[in-house]
Amino acid sequence: MDLLLTLNTLMLLTLATLLTPIIFPMLSDNLKNTPTTITNTVKTAFLISLLPMTIFIYSGSESLISLWEWKYIMNFKIPISLKMDFYSLTFFPIALFVSWSILQFATWYMASDPHITKFFTYLLLFLIAMLILIAANNLFILFIGWEGVGIMSFLLISWWHGRAEANTAALQAVLYNRVGDVGLILCMAWLASSMNTWEIQQLTSPHQTPTLPLLGLILAATGKSAQFGLHPWLPAAMEGPTPVSALLHSSTMVVAGIFLLIRTHPLLSTNQTALTLCLCLGALSTLFAATCALTQNDIKKIIAFSTSSQLGLMMVTIGLNLPQLAFLHISTHAFFKAMLFLCSGSIIHSLNGEQDIRKMGGLQKMLPTTTSCLTIGNLALMGTPFLAGFYSKDQIIESLSTSYLNTWALVLTLLATSFTAVYTIRMTVLVQAGFVRIPPLTPMNENNPAVTSPITRLALGSITAGFFITSYILPTKTPPMTMPMPIKLTALIVTILGIAIALELSKLTQTLILTKQTHFSNFSASLGYFNPLTHRLTSTSLLAGGQNIASHLIDLSWYKLIGPEGLASSQQTASKLATTLHSGSIKAYLSSFALSILIILTSTY
Amino acid sequence: AAPGAMAAFLTHQQKVLRLYKKSLRHLESWCIHRDKYRYFACLLRDRFDKNKDVKDMVKATELLKAGEEEFWASQHPQPYVFPDSPGGTSYERYEMYKLPEWCLDFWHPSEKAMYPDYFAKREQWKKLQRESWEREIKQLQEETPAGGPRTEALPPARKEGHLPPMWWHHVTRPREQPM
Repeated sequence: MDLLLTLNTLMLLTLATLLTPIIFPMLSDNLKNTPTTITNTVKTAFLISLLPMTIFIYSGSESLISLWEWKYIMNFKIPISLKMDFYSLTFFPIALFVSWSILQFATWYMASDPHITKFFTYLLLFLIAMLILIAANNLFILFIGWEGVGIMSFLLISWWHGRAEANTAALQAVLYNRVGDVGLILCMAWLASSMNTWEIQQLTSPHQTPTLPLLGLILAATGKSAQFGLHPWLPAAMEGPTPVSALLHSSTMVVAGIFLLIRTHPLLSTNQTALTLCLCLGALSTLFAATCALTQNDIKKIIAFSTSSQLGLMMVTIGLNLPQLAFLHISTHAFFKAMLFLCSGSIIHSLNGEQDIRKMGGLQKMLPTTTSCLTIGNLALMGTPFLAGFYSKDQIIESLSTSYLNTWALVLTLLATSFTAVYTIRMTVLVQAGFVRIPPLTPMNENNPAVTSPITRLALGSITAGFFITSYILPTKTPPMTMPMPIKLTALIVTILGIAIALELSKLTQTLILTKQTHFSNFSASLGYFNPLTHRLTSTSLLAGGQNIASHLIDLSWYKLIGPEGLASSQQTASKLATTLHSGSIKAYLSSFALSILIILTSTY
Repeated sequence: AAPGAMAAFLTHQQKVLRLYKKSLRHLESWCIHRDKYRYFACLLRDRFDKNKDVKDMVKATELLKAGEEEFWASQHPQPYVFPDSPGGTSYERYEMYKLPEWCLDFWHPSEKAMYPDYFAKREQWKKLQRESWEREIKQLQEETPAGGPRTEALPPARKEGHLPPMWWHHVTRPREQPM
């Protein structure tokens, strides 16, 4: 049996299945979409995409499909090529599984929305753009997917466009992504001019790649994956409905930047400067986001900052020259982060829109399935041994501790790991444990299978995904096999330390002492003062600079001083000088005649 | 201005009560657990009650000013806001109440044809509203006490065949959530 043909056909069939709800309503008026049909389409696509993954696991066959070639100019052709390698074959089923669960959840969450079919169509369009990005073999197709996910993110964040904050957040997302896109276009331009190709296979070069295009790639990843510097859009994106946050801003869209760095990894691996920049940027992002998450009170914001922190960790892995490990973390992170968002959505909807953890408590008895899965997700996030997060997170920290790199990056990452444990335990204690602080008379229940089955399915994935992926896929680089016992246990010790601190702090909040505002807590609560500083400084400096150029440079200088006014003032000084000589006495005029005749006579000699 | 209407300036009592309520809300944001909140809320109430009988307005204003400054220094950076209140997470999510009901009169006939039952009866309802308006206003003017209304609740209709005051504004009030 021709395995490669089957592989290619099944992958194309997956993509075609996802396109049917878009195309069929255009063909006939009887074929209308409903949320259930879209959910079932994604479920079918997931089941189909399992087959190519199994084929890859058991035979190791990868393939490359080239569908059509855009012969733009004669020596630069852009084929529409899709690459079915380990990354795309493994991420397709994972993304489709997570999307299926989220869509099923959204049939309950958005049930009261008047335009629910449009919502599902938007989510489906997003999914198609994301899969195009994943399967792309050249940067052109990747850019199509990149822009597609950016646009769908904008439309979905501003779903409730009656809110001013939602519109601001969507604009923020688009603008920050656009800043990152400049970097991607820079890299594509450099590649087109120096290597005459945008294909991923042809990206290797024997000597070191110049740093400028790699800086462009890192800028693109900073914008899309919310690293420090271009990060404010990710917490603001929580204005969108919870299914949007679960799909876009935790599992799929925000990993697109890291995925770009994984795809263009051969270029990065030769340039140590770029790798060190990735490492330090990632370490800073993960610590900054974890610090901001410590004092947040909105449950969605806590999970958003947690996502930002894990994205920083993925960037650290790229900086360690370990793209496959970064991909493993992307895959395991998708499961438990999507589940955390779905659990928080279930809690929010049951509490009638309440998102503040100060008004939740004791939900363990009222929503048992949701809170148990929340606990499982939090444990996986903290890297509890043998749950999904452990396989990727622990390996990253081991590799970081045993490599000859920046101690500063190591310290920041370890600190961020302990902060992860702290805010996770804080969230768990305030949401599930203790006495009830919710408004009374909320008739909450978990009787709807549209709520419980996605969450339990993702819980199963959170527990087993790490184990399955690592047992079937061999790493391309040898992981560090021997290290001293303290180094091996670093991540675990740091996490346990974080848990202990968090439990002590929780006990402290229950004693009768008023918490004082310290500089650290204010820094954390104001998100590092980053948003007001940059949003106001950049816009005022750009606008003031523009005003100066327009009024002082162009109007005053070019139009006035160089032109008429300058001429007039020079004429004026000359004539003022000359009028002093017009005294009216004949002696002065006779002396001026004599002087001029003398000058003429002497100058002709 | 009519007695009991909102004046341009707040009275001292209003200022003190507003300070008390917002400091209670910020205290609630700080003290997450209810027993701890209740303890500190009682202490705060006692602090307010100790100065409740100060008759010297200068001293009372100085106390208020000191209170406001203490509030500003110890406010919570992310105070708890109810979801449907301004600044909350669900505020203004649906654009239901942004349009008043007289916009329906400006619909195109093809759009009005989509809801024939409603628009067939709409003219009658509008005529009823015009006729009963004078009677509603007369009832309100008779029933309001001299110092202004004590509460925001509207009285019911008193006579046979009359409609309750401000019924049109209540019936055509905008929805909170879409259908």
